[in-house]
Amino acid sequence: MSLGLPRRYLALAVLVIGVLFVFPFYAGDFRMNQLGLFLCFVMFALSLDLIWGFTGILSLGNAVYFGGGAYFVALSLKLKYAATNPARYGSGIPDFMEWNGLTAVPVWMRPLENIWFAAPAGILAMGLLAFVFGFITFKRHIYGVYCAVITLAESLIFEELIIEKQAYTGGFNGITDYGSYSSNINFYWVILAVTVVFFWLARRITTSHFGMILQSIRENELRSEFFGFEVANYKIFVFTVAAMMSAVAGGLYAALNGIISHQEIGPLLSVEGVIWVAVGGRGTLIGAFVGTILIKGAESLLSEQFAWMWGLLVGLIFILVIVLMPDGIVGTLLRRARRRRALAAGRAPAYEPRATGAEDTPTA
Amino acid sequence: MAEALFAQFLTGFSIVAILLIISLGLAVIFGVMRVINMAHGDFIMVGAYVAFVMQEYFKLNLFWGIPAAFLVLAGIGMTVEWGLIRQLYGRPLETLLATWGVSVVLQQGIRLIFGPELRYVRAPQLLDGDFAVPGSNLPFPYFRLFIIILALGLLLLTYWILYRTDVGMRVRAVNQNRPMAEVLGIDTRRIDRFVFAFGSGLAGVAGTILAPIKTVSPGMGFPYAVDSYMVIVLGGVGRLVGTVAGASVIGESETVLAFLYNNVIAKLLVFTLIVLVIRVFPQGLFTLQRR
Repeated sequence: MSLGLPRRYLALAVLVIGVLFVFPFYAGDFRMNQLGLFLCFVMFALSLDLIWGFTGILSLGNAVYFGGGAYFVALSLKLKYAATNPARYGSGIPDFMEWNGLTAVPVWMRPLENIWFAAPAGILAMGLLAFVFGFITFKRHIYGVYCAVITLAESLIFEELIIEKQAYTGGFNGITDYGSYSSNINFYWVILAVTVVFFWLARRITTSHFGMILQSIRENELRSEFFGFEVANYKIFVFTVAAMMSAVAGGLYAALNGIISHQEIGPLLSVEGVIWVAVGGRGTLIGAFVGTILIKGAESLLSEQFAWMWGLLVGLIFILVIVLMPDGIVGTLLRRARRRRALAAGRAPAYEPRATGAEDTPTA
Repeated sequence: MAEALFAQFLTGFSIVAILLIISLGLAVIFGVMRVINMAHGDFIMVGAYVAFVMQEYFKLNLFWGIPAAFLVLAGIGMTVEWGLIRQLYGRPLETLLATWGVSVVLQQGIRLIFGPELRYVRAPQLLDGDFAVPGSNLPFPYFRLFIIILALGLLLLTYWILYRTDVGMRVRAVNQNRPMAEVLGIDTRRIDRFVFAFGSGLAGVAGTILAPIKTVSPGMGFPYAVDSYMVIVLGGVGRLVGTVAGASVIGESETVLAFLYNNVIAKLLVFTLIVLVIRVFPQGLFTLQRR
């Protein structure tokens, strides 16, 4: 299994995976949990990279799918926890339901008690939601800033909905105290394995013929259409796949973190994901990994002392990356490496389209 | 019930008025530059803080806050246009992301200067109290009436600038066909800067009149900005009537539905409505055909 990578990067990939694999042996539980959470964010960023970096759809609402998957899992674990520990809250139902005057778990929520039903249900539900949303928007050539703004509003509404329906979602406080899988080295490895599989999958998608078409959509939607590709269908497909990936990441996140709140579904995380991808390098899969780990890592190291400074810094970094380094860290490095290799081989460097794509595609 | 609904409908007018002021700025900017300013909500927020500063440090009431906020925000807008948006010309998505960065910086900056706590701004004393709506005995606050009049005034002003002045004609020319306008000798960069400053100034005005109704805090602008993006999506670009229609539909239906159900359900319903409408009219309800 070569992970579909060129040979010169294979060793590096194996090394990184190896380091991540043995990391828990050398770091404490705290850092292991933290890295596990980061890996969930990496998967989220990866899904954004697929739709934004490769297909050129800027969605500012993809946390809906991450948070959706997370809420399914958290709710399931919470129901199970309350049912198996009736002494804890005085009755067999979750504390937040009790506070809001429910006396029993609603019938339609019962099946969620089984995690093996809830987790796949969450992933499928998010896939369906993305499919419907994609069908409505992409089929009508709603693209670019319109798409960004609509997804942003979607994300905001879902966040408010979660806060509002507190009897079922825990409202503003979110869902906590459901017996998480933190400090569990096996679970950490599960997350790592899923991450690796997702990268392999994303690599397969993007290097295939299908991936070429996605990138041609990014470069020029109208021209791809004229070549006879049903652009909307490609977009809907990749949007749905990305949503399901996000849902998986969210589910793992909820199970590991042991607390989930409206922030995991709102615009803040949606846009944060975009920032990670932009900093790492959109249109390069590994950029999603690098960007997320860098930003989240720096955040956890710095913000312990300078919480206020950190926000300001992220804003500035983001502006600078967008203006001065639109290819991100990995994108810029790869571009340079390719250029150097071409020059060393005595060839002129090939023309490379930038990952920013041709955005002002007319609808004609 | 019917009377309460009518009262809600009247309150809706002031919501529409605020939304209209916010969206006017955004719509003019989007029409000319095809750029969505993600920091628009934070421009509103800064406007509210300008009103707060005028009240606390200069002891001047809101009537002074409004022009002050317009000038401050026009200045900020001009700076952002010059330093950032111009660098990203022709890449609307990049611009959107960069202005998100501006939004983060503004929020954090305000938080650093004024702290995270809520601030309060008083309405001018002249506008205290209610009056009875003619034909019924429903009370209606003077301040809300003032907001409606102000919004109508700003709408007329915008209309006048766009359709009755020389610079407005240039703005419309750039809106219709940028390269052609450039060929004909219009300095499109100056038009961009003017439009962006004007739109940002309107956001500042919206912030000052929001300040007495809502509490002032660093994150206050975002929901309003999202609503105004929806106004653009629904109403279309390039024609003021689209913005007015969008703001009216969204503002009124959100207020009335919020009364019948609740805030969040209202937003959800309105959002669904918008998505369905653009399914039929992808360009929004009223859009000027570009050439």
